[in-house]
Amino acid sequence: MSQSDDSTVDLAEGIDHQVAMVMDLNKCIGCQTCTIACKTNWTESGGREYMYWNNVETKPGSGYPRDWEEMGGGWDESGEERTPGDLPDREDYGRAWDFNHEAIMYEGSDEPLRPLENADWGPNWDEDEGAGEYPNSYYFYLPRICNHCTHPSCVEACPRSAIYKREEDGIVLVDQDRCRGYRYCVEGCPYKKVFYNAETKTSEKCIFCYPRIEGEGPEGEVRPPSCAEDCPPQLRHVGFLDDEDGPIHKLVNEYEVAVRLHPEYRTEPNVYYIPPYAPPQTSEGGETLDAERIPRDYLEELFGPKVNEALNTISRERDRVRRGEESELMEILSTVNNDDQYRLEVFDDA
Amino acid sequence: MREDDGSVPDRTPESTLGSKLSREHVAALALVVTVVASAALLPTLADARPAYEIPVDYQQSSADLSEPSGEAWDSVPAASVPLSSAGASVPAADETSVESVRVEVARTNERLYLRLSWADATTDTSTDEISGFADAVAVQLPANQSERPPIAMGSTSNRVNVWYWSGTGEHEALLAGGPGTTTEIDEPTLRANATHEDGRWTVVFSRSMASDRANVTDVSPNRDMDVALAVWNGSNMERSGRKATSEWYYLALGPDTGGPPYEAILWSVAGLAIVFTTLVTIEGIRRTRGE
Ligand code: SF4
Ligand code: SF4
Repeated sequence: MSQSDDSTVDLAEGIDHQVAMVMDLNKCIGCQTCTIACKTNWTESGGREYMYWNNVETKPGSGYPRDWEEMGGGWDESGEERTPGDLPDREDYGRAWDFNHEAIMYEGSDEPLRPLENADWGPNWDEDEGAGEYPNSYYFYLPRICNHCTHPSCVEACPRSAIYKREEDGIVLVDQDRCRGYRYCVEGCPYKKVFYNAETKTSEKCIFCYPRIEGEGPEGEVRPPSCAEDCPPQLRHVGFLDDEDGPIHKLVNEYEVAVRLHPEYRTEPNVYYIPPYAPPQTSEGGETLDAERIPRDYLEELFGPKVNEALNTISRERDRVRRGEESELMEILSTVNNDDQYRLEVFDDA
Repeated sequence: MREDDGSVPDRTPESTLGSKLSREHVAALALVVTVVASAALLPTLADARPAYEIPVDYQQSSADLSEPSGEAWDSVPAASVPLSSAGASVPAADETSVESVRVEVARTNERLYLRLSWADATTDTSTDEISGFADAVAVQLPANQSERPPIAMGSTSNRVNVWYWSGTGEHEALLAGGPGTTTEIDEPTLRANATHEDGRWTVVFSRSMASDRANVTDVSPNRDMDVALAVWNGSNMERSGRKATSEWYYLALGPDTGGPPYEAILWSVAGLAIVFTTLVTIEGIRRTRGE
């Protein structure tokens, strides 16, 4: 495609194009369909039971693995030195529980179906707890996958160059033949999106469903990653960051309403979020107040200072639509046309 | 001080050693010289060998050499090899915990045996938890012996073989051409056995001496061979470049193995001392007689 030749989009060195995803957090209902779509495709067994390459966590909340935001990794302020990171414990992810299926199904027990033991933590354990006081408590869901970063500290962390960013589309992959299970990538990723497989003794991670985007998926068609395609409210856009005619480029670079999660980790994620704009606060008596429900401070903590302009732009554009004016931005955000949402073949004849 | 320089006879009577000394004096002095020389040599002899040498004991039969506590090891001399952090570019590379490894090496006509033993109070034998790393030890040898490879895993043009044992019970042969390049190679004759007793790991590696395969070290019974060692303490999260390593040492396989080189040195020194003493004595007697 001609547009990539004089592209103004910053890509990692040596990368032809960069896959990207925009998730609209205002649409997420926390149903975990994406989580299960991913799991049934990639992580059902073989040492992957505890892994959720796609997880959906409640914010504010501890996340998955527990307190991952306090585990380090990423880059320092210069962007050149890596920040040391920790390895999470199995408990931080949550162990796969054993249930009393046997007793109930075969031994005639009438106890309720429940985990046998250790059911005291797991992914999204703190679901819907959030923060704030009634009637102004708040929470939202945050779906997370590997960000296939432009400056990935996981790649830099590996002394064997077993984890790499592939040239054609910037997807970050672990070469299972080169990996010796040192787990420096697990420590080094600040989003904790590389996982150690204790059975294969190698590290594994989200592959952006590359067989699907290469047309090796169902019916031999090019399909978006399963987490996107199976999402009931279809809240994800999938395409290339450097496809300057595509919606991702518009949302990220033109309108600047799609922002990175924890930009201060400096890995330059290629998954972007439309920040949540919850309903305003209400008084004890139930009247609407002129105050935002989700504190800006908190959103800034998650998405950096750019979240402010993003939210302002979105409310400005919403007002335009309310007034009956046109808004390209709101059209992109409210499209129900999958062809607009998933643009994965634009560079195919390049 | 010419006077002490008795081996260079000077024709000026006043300044010569013998002219002023009686025969008894000369004999006594010779004795003193010998004793002093021996005393000076003793500490070196007790320490046994040139720096960086690891003696190799030849044995007729393999007996129980492959067992970490095999009796055949009783007669094998040990070398203590100091270790320090490899300084690789991985996080916390300097935080290693094992400071030395005891090395004993034996060979038969067919096989080379290395017994490595080091202090490690914890037996870390599992990599089943996310933060679980296993204890490990490795022996590094040049892949071919024309030139000593760079100590950190060799280089692309000068590769190394690595025999690697892990506390998980696995062992493997690796080929490397620089840090981060280890690749498993098929080496069916490599064996490893390990025990952990009284806070020490003892691991015996053994492998066929000869190899005619490319990139697989051929161990010659007639030639010294470079060797380096590395130890990892799993519970200290040591793995890959976070390891305690030695400098290059060498296995004394060369011509002197029938009698270790330090014996030869001892005999040369003793021989020189005898010649010296005799010369001094003769000269002393000659002078005393006024010849
Ligand atoms: S999110 Fe983590 S694993 Fe994924 S590319 Fe970025 S640093 Fe690597
Ligand atoms: S499938 Fe969609 S709505 Fe459901 S949790 Fe995932 S991202 Fe949210």
